[in-house]
Amino acid sequence: MSRFLFPRWIDSLVPVLAIAGAVVPLYAVFIVAYGFSPKSLEKGYQPIQPVPFSHARHAGELGLDCRYCHSTVERSWFAAVPSTQVCMNCHTQIRKGSPLLAPVKSSYESGMPIEWIKVHKLPDYAYFDHSAHVNRGVSCVECHGRVDQMAVVTRVKPLSMGWCLECHRDPIDRLRPVSKITTLSWDQNTQMTREEREGIARLYHITPSENCSTCHR
Amino acid sequence: MPRLIVYSLSILALLALVPPMVLARNRGEASATTGVHIIFDMDLQTKFKTQAVNPLFADGRSMRQPVAGTVARGDERLDTHYYNGVVAGQWATTLPAQATMSLKLLERGQARFNIYCSACHGYAGAGDGMVNQRALALVSNAQGPVDGTVWVTAKSLHDATVTVQPIGQLFNTITYGIRNMAGYGTQIPVEDRWAIAAYVKALQRSQDAAVQDVPPQMRAGLGL
Ligand code: HEC
Ligand code: HEC
Ligand code: HEC
Ligand code: HEC
Ligand code: HEC
Ligand code: HEC
Repeated sequence: MSRFLFPRWIDSLVPVLAIAGAVVPLYAVFIVAYGFSPKSLEKGYQPIQPVPFSHARHAGELGLDCRYCHSTVERSWFAAVPSTQVCMNCHTQIRKGSPLLAPVKSSYESGMPIEWIKVHKLPDYAYFDHSAHVNRGVSCVECHGRVDQMAVVTRVKPLSMGWCLECHRDPIDRLRPVSKITTLSWDQNTQMTREEREGIARLYHITPSENCSTCHR
Repeated sequence: MPRLIVYSLSILALLALVPPMVLARNRGEASATTGVHIIFDMDLQTKFKTQAVNPLFADGRSMRQPVAGTVARGDERLDTHYYNGVVAGQWATTLPAQATMSLKLLERGQARFNIYCSACHGYAGAGDGMVNQRALALVSNAQGPVDGTVWVTAKSLHDATVTVQPIGQLFNTITYGIRNMAGYGTQIPVEDRWAIAAYVKALQRSQDAAVQDVPPQMRAGLGL
């Protein structure tokens, strides 16, 4: 019986294997870092809502202020999604026969809430507070994008811890006068100088915290 | 090297390019599904946050409504001046004790008016807000009102029937609504409703103001 001998071409595999040995771990790291990052997984979430409510129409064209509906945003950690009653301020009259509004109408009549699907959701172990931000001159647009141009609300920011900290470390360029927080088309970087924005930081005594207990309590 | 191995290695290398390409395409693109959660940590805890769903109750609300016929402590609202704008069966003509007239109150009222009222009544209160205009356009559509829209013009707040109203009556209209206008008592906290009522009074006064109403030192700036 003759002994098994590796064929000669095996030698040429050695550099190939060496390259593969170096590339495959890098490849795996890349896939995990890029593919599993919140920027890939969490951004762009756009659930189909029970009513095709359009912010572009209500907040954009009609110019309703965000706080007309999200009326708790300045007072509470939570930006309440409006009750059916708020829709009915107008829709008892406006387009009341529209099939698109049928779920709103039946909710109004039965008293059962409309089950809106939450688009922006932090893990339950993280604490966030709207009032701390909007009363210190951080506009909705910094965290939610141009909602007033969205027909369907989409999550445009990753809402990851790294993203929160990025702003907490240097908020100056993201600050504006409190009177402008819901004017999403207004841009503090073209309308104000950096010195003016620094003035706002001093006015509101802004020192965002990086302590773990600020957001994990 | 046998052909087979060369081919399979190059195909493998090509296939390895597919996942990054798929990832790059999907990255940040709108989709109706949540990101895959690989490790749940304590993302979903057995607690209910504001406006969350609770399947234990028939209406699915985790925020419970008060039982019918009960009143929470401290929420009895017996002060009719503060909560209804009524004093001894008449419309109140003054602010309640809880609010004091000041520039701050009027500025607060202006900001709140622009959020809640201007949509229909317009920023100057003339009854020409965007929603009002849109609704009138829907009503006067050539093929008949769209989707059965009906609309009563949001009244001008400078209408003689409104300017004569005492502040308490304005407050009551904001709180409980009137005829075709819905009430804003649940949307606007009570102190802000008083601020709006005070601002509406100021707005009405501003419309047919005389030169004498402007303090002398301010007149030059307005070209008077
Ligand atoms: C301040 C008044 C106002 C409020 C409050 C309001 N809407 Fe509207 N809505 C309008 C107007 C005006 C239109 C536009 C009609 C048009 O332009 O054809 C509209 C259009 C719509 C449409 C499209 C109807 C169709 O047939 O095209 C839907 C759906 C809708 N609204 C849902 C809602 C929901 C849900 C709420 C509550 C969260 C709400 N609206 C609150 C004024 C309002
Ligand atoms: C007419 C009432 C109305 C107005 C005005 C309005 N919203 Fe909304 N908003 C809603 C309703 C109803 C929902 C829930 C349905 C949905 O997500 O589309 C919502 C959802 C949202 C969400 C997603 C919440 C989640 O589930 O994570 C954001 C963010 C938001 N609104 C921001 C804004 C901003 C910013 C403005 C001002 C430019 C604004 N809204 C004005 C009614 C309104
Ligand atoms: C600093 C960032 C930031 C700003 C500024 C901000 N939001 Fe949010 N918003 C968030 C985050 C984070 C969540 C998710 C909160 C959670 O799940 O606990 C959220 C959630 C929401 C929701 C869903 C309900 C809730 O509270 O969970 C609505 C509606 C909303 N935001 C509206 C607004 C409006 C309107 C403004 C401007 C007046 C605004 N937000 C400003 C970060 C922000
Ligand atoms: C665009 C800038 C910006 C982003 C993004 C941002 N923050 Fe903030 N945050 C601020 C500012 C400014 C303050 C106010 C700091 C102060 O008052 O000194 C603040 C304050 C806070 C506070 C309140 C601290 C206190 O003293 O009560 C909490 C909690 C918080 N942020 C959590 C978060 C979380 C969680 C996220 C991410 C989901 C986030 N923030 C994203 C700018 C930001
Ligand atoms: C500005 C707010 C903020 C601060 C300050 C903060 N975190 Fe976080 N942290 C978050 C948010 C938001 C998340 C959730 C991110 C997500 O959606 O996965 C998080 C997630 C985490 C997680 C879970 C990560 C995972 O995916 O499992 C750990 C662990 C953590 N934080 C530890 C810390 C520590 C330690 C500190 C102090 C050095 C700290 N955090 C400070 C906001 C903050
Ligand atoms: C959705 C549109 C809408 C909004 C928003 C609205 N109103 Fe009205 N308002 C109306 C309409 C319509 C009428 C006329 C009602 C009628 O004559 O049937 C009216 C009438 C009035 C009147 C006259 C009442 C009378 O005695 O004749 C006052 C005062 C008034 N509104 C104040 C306000 C104030 C203050 C706000 C803000 C908190 C406000 N409204 C918000 C639609 C609106």
